[in-house]
Amino acid sequence: MAATPGAPTGGKATGWLDQRTRIGPLLAASLHVRIPMSAKTYYFGGIALFLFGIQAATGTLLALYYKPTPEAAYESVQFITSDVSFGWLIRSVHHWAANLMILFVILHLVRVFMQAAYKYPRELTWVFGSLLLMLTLAFGFTGYLLPWDQLAYWATVVGTEIAGSVPIIGESLLLLLRGGTDVTGDTMTRFFGIHVLVLPIATAGLLVVHLVLVHQLGLANPKRPEPRVTTPEIEKEPQRPFFPHYIIDELMAWYVLLAILVVLASVFPAGLEEQANPLQTPAHTKPEWYYLGVYQLLKVIPWKVIGIMVPIVGVALLVVWPFLDRNPEVVMRRRKIAVGGATVVIVGLIAFTIWGYVS
Amino acid sequence: MPGDRMLHQPRLLRRVVRLGGTLTLAGLATFAVAFSASAESPSPSAAAAGSPAPSASPAASAAPAPTPGPSDTNWMYATPAPTEAIPLATAPPLPPRVAHPDGGDANGCYDCHSAVNEEQSKIAAAWKDSAHGQAEVACADCHGGDPGSDQITKAMDPAIGFVGSPDRQESVGLCGSCHANVDTMKASGLPTDQYAKYWSSVHGQQLITANDARVAVCTDCHGVHDVKKVSDPTAKTFALNVPELCSSCHSDEKRMEPYGIPTDQYDVYAKSVHGHALLDNKDVRAPSCASCHGSHDAQPPTSTTVVEVCGKCHTATQDLYMESRHSELQAVAPKCWTCHGTHDVSKPSSELFFHPTPPDYTCVTCHDLQTHTLRLELDQFDDPANRRCDTCHHPESQIYSQIEGISGAVTSAEEAYVDAEDEIQHAAGLGMITSDAEVALAGAKTSLIQAQAAVHTTKLTSIAELSADAVTKSNEAKALATAKIDETNFRRAAMVIVLALILLGVAYLWLTKRRLDRELERDLEAKGRE
Repeated sequence: MAATPGAPTGGKATGWLDQRTRIGPLLAASLHVRIPMSAKTYYFGGIALFLFGIQAATGTLLALYYKPTPEAAYESVQFITSDVSFGWLIRSVHHWAANLMILFVILHLVRVFMQAAYKYPRELTWVFGSLLLMLTLAFGFTGYLLPWDQLAYWATVVGTEIAGSVPIIGESLLLLLRGGTDVTGDTMTRFFGIHVLVLPIATAGLLVVHLVLVHQLGLANPKRPEPRVTTPEIEKEPQRPFFPHYIIDELMAWYVLLAILVVLASVFPAGLEEQANPLQTPAHTKPEWYYLGVYQLLKVIPWKVIGIMVPIVGVALLVVWPFLDRNPEVVMRRRKIAVGGATVVIVGLIAFTIWGYVS
Repeated sequence: MPGDRMLHQPRLLRRVVRLGGTLTLAGLATFAVAFSASAESPSPSAAAAGSPAPSASPAASAAPAPTPGPSDTNWMYATPAPTEAIPLATAPPLPPRVAHPDGGDANGCYDCHSAVNEEQSKIAAAWKDSAHGQAEVACADCHGGDPGSDQITKAMDPAIGFVGSPDRQESVGLCGSCHANVDTMKASGLPTDQYAKYWSSVHGQQLITANDARVAVCTDCHGVHDVKKVSDPTAKTFALNVPELCSSCHSDEKRMEPYGIPTDQYDVYAKSVHGHALLDNKDVRAPSCASCHGSHDAQPPTSTTVVEVCGKCHTATQDLYMESRHSELQAVAPKCWTCHGTHDVSKPSSELFFHPTPPDYTCVTCHDLQTHTLRLELDQFDDPANRRCDTCHHPESQIYSQIEGISGAVTSAEEAYVDAEDEIQHAAGLGMITSDAEVALAGAKTSLIQAQAAVHTTKLTSIAELSADAVTKSNEAKALATAKIDETNFRRAAMVIVLALILLGVAYLWLTKRRLDRELERDLEAKGRE
């Protein structure tokens, strides 16, 4: 319900602001709504959102000192870590939040899949969510190179080589990613631009759509499929305010995450290997943990084309899955094929990741 | 081991005279000791000394060393040094190349022999894959005959120069006929001095003076038909394979028994820093047998050359040694091997200064009671435990005090360095970036190495200065690491405070949530009643 012009709502300050922004109706529509009592948070999505905010804030601070050239990048990271006031904290939080963000986006996806929250009417929410997962992984891939140390450089060499083995477009994709045949300063400026401009804008845009859809469609009930027609029973279901009752739960989870980040950054600060040396290949070059499963898969499958096509087809299936799964049921025991298949994929990925780590 | 090592020329000469006709035997022993000690043993050619005998040892004729100067007494072994009056047996004249008719592109030898039987086929195949086969050095170039003919009677006709298989003695000349020929070898770019070098070696001298064909000849190391380039990793002469090649004869007790040469050199070498680097780490820069003894001119280093032999690689250390009082002593001076050993060179440490408890000294430890001069009881240094300064320098001597000063300075520098290293590792283990401390530590390492190397000068002042510099730099590196550890402690303390604040925030939210839930419950109940 829109506020009457000239009739300030709330206190004196908010009234003053509302008169000049007319923001009251927007807030009323987005925050001051009521949701079913049964709707509760599973935290993962909210935590991923919180971590994205942390990344945006710490990334902006890092960008104030970071110099994206092969000659200066390493030393600028060293400077940030050793000399800039609280630079170590900002960089370490950025490092750990990046890892945790990927972890929680994956956990969010698994939770949504297992509770069938992608089904009618939330198919598009899933599609945008899965695209956000891709963007998060791209954040990790492009950001990993930026310290320009041995670990970063050679992980990028290996990572881009994987992209280069994609059938038909592999060679062009490799040139596009690297900005040339090798990982050089051109690759770095490219990755930097993508990391701090393209991906944040794209992620913010998709996030807005994803959140608007969540807001508009409400939270899925894991116990029953979404009815296509509203019934009186549903309308009678008791409700509670979205703000602050629901949000307060999320806030507590964010606080806990903040505590985890502080502990990780303090006890295990982000390190730095030796400066990147294109002429000296380290003995064991491996990508980061979130690419390790796919990396190991590529290593053990003798047919390269099949090895690279498995993850590509897997990702494509993931994005369009809501349109392929025609089973209306949401309870896990009634979705044996989907849940069984997903369990096999998850266990397989974990196993390949561990295998890749120890091999 | 001969027990008659000595320091002084008069005694040496007496010993030479006493040995007389058994000079050959003494030479043999010399070679044995030389291989075990790798130290100076300028031994003369028994043949050149006018006592050639079938039983002449290789070492007796094995000293093509430069003529020693007046101060170069043979202080290690009771074998006479070669002088101009006792020259080495000279190399036999170089035979001409094997002549044979030009077969053009044909190689009838190969065609037939590869089909005769399995053994001959293997020989033919080995030749084809060999360096000679690749370089088109064909059968007739060594065996003579007519390669253009497929008739056995014609191809292998002695009348046209077929020489068959040369014996071991002849084989050296046969190889030399090409390999010592500058014109022939020009195209391959190979050196042509191996033939002359071989005859100057203990192997060559034993062959020429004693007609002893049991010694190593070219084919023993390089192969016969399967000759491989030295750069070929599968060649027996490839750097990494040389110790095993030498060991194939020199670790054979039966083969070495007539010469009295010890057979444990390979085992001892394999455990040394050199052997570890070459055999375990596959570092082709590390010295093998040939690096010190020579290859074609194999012989034990002599008194005058031992420092130069080690100095071929350890050039800076050699320069420092030449500044020392030790080098001035010349004959009675300790050389590289006295402290570091020969085949059993181990990583040097501060333990080389003193015995854990002072050894028992007797007058004869350092003095010749007959001549009242200094002497060096060399047998002592066979035992690594005795390779210590206080083996020679008595605790009550002035020099001993100086050694204590040197030891103290170097040890304190080493301890400071290790302390700094540990502190940096500790800081790195806490996740701190320690590159600045590591750079400082690298500077300390340089000073420490300089101080340790300066021990060879025996000059306390300069060693103390370098050691003090190393201590200062190590302490600076340690301070940088300590600052990082302090920083970590601060971070962790700050973390506890932040966690406490977060806990307070969560507690406040939880209480707020509880209040809101109760209010909501009351509202719902009120609505339900309505």
